[in-house]
Amino acid sequence: MPGSSCVIGCGLETRKEEPPFSQHCFPQPLWLLLILTYLIERLMMCRDMPAVNEWISFAPCGCSNPRASCRGRTTQPEEVGSMPGTELLNSKPRIVNPKKECQVDLVFTTDRYNPEEGEERLGKCSARVFFRNQKPRPAINVTCTRLIEKNKRQQEDYLLYKHMKQLKTPLDVVSIPDSHGHIDPSLRPIWDLAFLGGSYVMWEKTTQFLHYYMAQLSSVNQWKTNDDAIDFDYTVLLHEFSTQEIIPCRIHLVWYPGKPLKVKYHCQELQTPEASGTEEGSAVAPTELNNF
Amino acid sequence: MALRVPLTHVRGKTLLGSPAVRKASQHQVLRISAADEAQVQKVKELEDLEHLQLDFWRGPGQPGSPIDVRVPFPSIQAVKAFLEAHGLGYTIMIEDVQSLLDEEQEQMFAFQARSRSTDTFNYATYHTLEEIYGFMDLLVAEHPQLVSKLQIGNTYEGRPIYVLKFSTGGNNRPAIWIDTGIHSREWVTQASGVWFAKKITQDYGQDLTLTAILDSMDIFLEIVTNPDGFAFTHSKNRMWRKTRSLTPGSSCVGVDPNRNWDAGFGMPGASSNPCTDTYRGKFANSEVEVKSIVDFVKSHGNIKAFVSIHSYSQLLLYPYGYKAEPAPNRDELDQLAKSAVTALASLYGTKFKYGSIIKTIYQASGSTIDWTYSQGIKYSFTFELRDTGRYGFLLPASQIVPTAQETWLALRTIMEYTLNHPY
Repeated sequence: MPGSSCVIGCGLETRKEEPPFSQHCFPQPLWLLLILTYLIERLMMCRDMPAVNEWISFAPCGCSNPRASCRGRTTQPEEVGSMPGTELLNSKPRIVNPKKECQVDLVFTTDRYNPEEGEERLGKCSARVFFRNQKPRPAINVTCTRLIEKNKRQQEDYLLYKHMKQLKTPLDVVSIPDSHGHIDPSLRPIWDLAFLGGSYVMWEKTTQFLHYYMAQLSSVNQWKTNDDAIDFDYTVLLHEFSTQEIIPCRIHLVWYPGKPLKVKYHCQELQTPEASGTEEGSAVAPTELNNF
Repeated sequence: MALRVPLTHVRGKTLLGSPAVRKASQHQVLRISAADEAQVQKVKELEDLEHLQLDFWRGPGQPGSPIDVRVPFPSIQAVKAFLEAHGLGYTIMIEDVQSLLDEEQEQMFAFQARSRSTDTFNYATYHTLEEIYGFMDLLVAEHPQLVSKLQIGNTYEGRPIYVLKFSTGGNNRPAIWIDTGIHSREWVTQASGVWFAKKITQDYGQDLTLTAILDSMDIFLEIVTNPDGFAFTHSKNRMWRKTRSLTPGSSCVGVDPNRNWDAGFGMPGASSNPCTDTYRGKFANSEVEVKSIVDFVKSHGNIKAFVSIHSYSQLLLYPYGYKAEPAPNRDELDQLAKSAVTALASLYGTKFKYGSIIKTIYQASGSTIDWTYSQGIKYSFTFELRDTGRYGFLLPASQIVPTAQETWLALRTIMEYTLNHPY
């Protein structure tokens, strides 16, 4: 079955498993967002290294200091705990211009986001990720084969959408997962959708030097399903490497299956050294956002 | 379909404390919203109907203020009909009071059982500082010949800093140091530390390797290395990483204890901004939590392996973090790391990567094992436990014991190697 390819920025569709690649752009295919997050996490950061002789041997990972990030790691598949359903098969970095650009080629497999017990890996993908000028939002080119066929995808999308419409407004909810890592099964779809929007934000923020994980859905500000679309306004905490900061991001997404996902967001900036106001430097819940 | 309200959300009201609750089967708790004064009055009328046996948890007050009432089963239909007839909105907060009561009973029993012995202690859940300190005392009481508790200092906020010493005798034997919880939000590490402590007492005399180790060496285990931070993760901010020291001239709190050691201090790999999570502090060892360990290590003088445990990322790291130059015994460390992660993976297949800090994650200056290594402790390692980002710091409690079990295999490998390679 021929693969289809998509340059990053293509319409959103499914959540439950691999999406189709539709050709109209912006925002991302649902699944692609999830994949991207994985890709970006798995890329070794492209950094400048002081000693030239460190660059000599290329190992199959990051751009700068290739041996570094890849030490002990081979080209064997590895479990990707952060990104369910993906498995890295190989990655080849290519330093285009060491100080400015970094390109990484990856090959990986995918499966359903919430796989059934014993279900096999499905899609097979290759991707090229390109960071330029140390800027965020790398360009990504992904090609996949053996994805679930379009009709089935759309069906599952719609089922999920219907299920979400029936959920009681979870405004009482704070913190998913809770401090003990627990997610109530009935609230799981909310977390999934939150993660989807979060992965878009993470992609936009990722650079050669900074990557992210979504630590927690810290509050639900609004969950509206009375119109056709799901209108979801919430806050997530992103964990930033290598600074270790916890960054609150307010996200507003609107989803209707078959239509592109709309995402708006605002992440809180770090305090300056002598800042007044809040007294802690990490994981402060955002207050009123002026320009959201 | 009602939303099940977790027990903790039932504000201030312990169900067991309710006198009227004998058999609360199918009793429901409703939350009524009265939009205006007239509606509030209607609810007050309801209050007056004694035969309904309503139990108001939060009585009618201002319009807009929620009204919570427990409704016994026989009255449910009548009450709902009344509310609907008068246009009073309501939601079902608790569908079945009895099941919550049962749950609460269980929790109370568990709480009591927990405090009796380390055999009934629940290792598969996260605990508070008090509970962990209580556990330590229990363990010492149960194994006075093997375990003792040392206080190596006090935190910034005045909490005692404890280290458990496992020893079968001798005088200042060569020793192994393990610490968990230096970054307070990494909860699986303190939880694993508790499990390790129990494991040592169980395996001495049973497991050949551990017995051989303890017959010649001592083990020091600091379970809560950052008690102030840990308390803060329970009370205010689950994502807190640093200490809780105040920095003069800044409104921001805390220093990253893993950037505060005297190894490459001030070099790239830590932040000079007090508001950041990798703030190094004004000077090396400024943090009493760090200084206490430094003083202990120096005065002991015979520590041969030092392991500092973090989460998450599934890594086993050795020096250096602050510079790219390889450690003198790098090949040996690499081999040992490889054996350790292989042992770890043998249990549940959990994959760890390994290497020097700077090459495997990022440059970090002032880190623990760079300092301990500089003191001549050849076998200095840092672990990053489960997972790789899916849950991150919020690792489900169900993973505590598997994580501790697999990590223990790696620790055992390192300890055994240290035993067999005296220096």
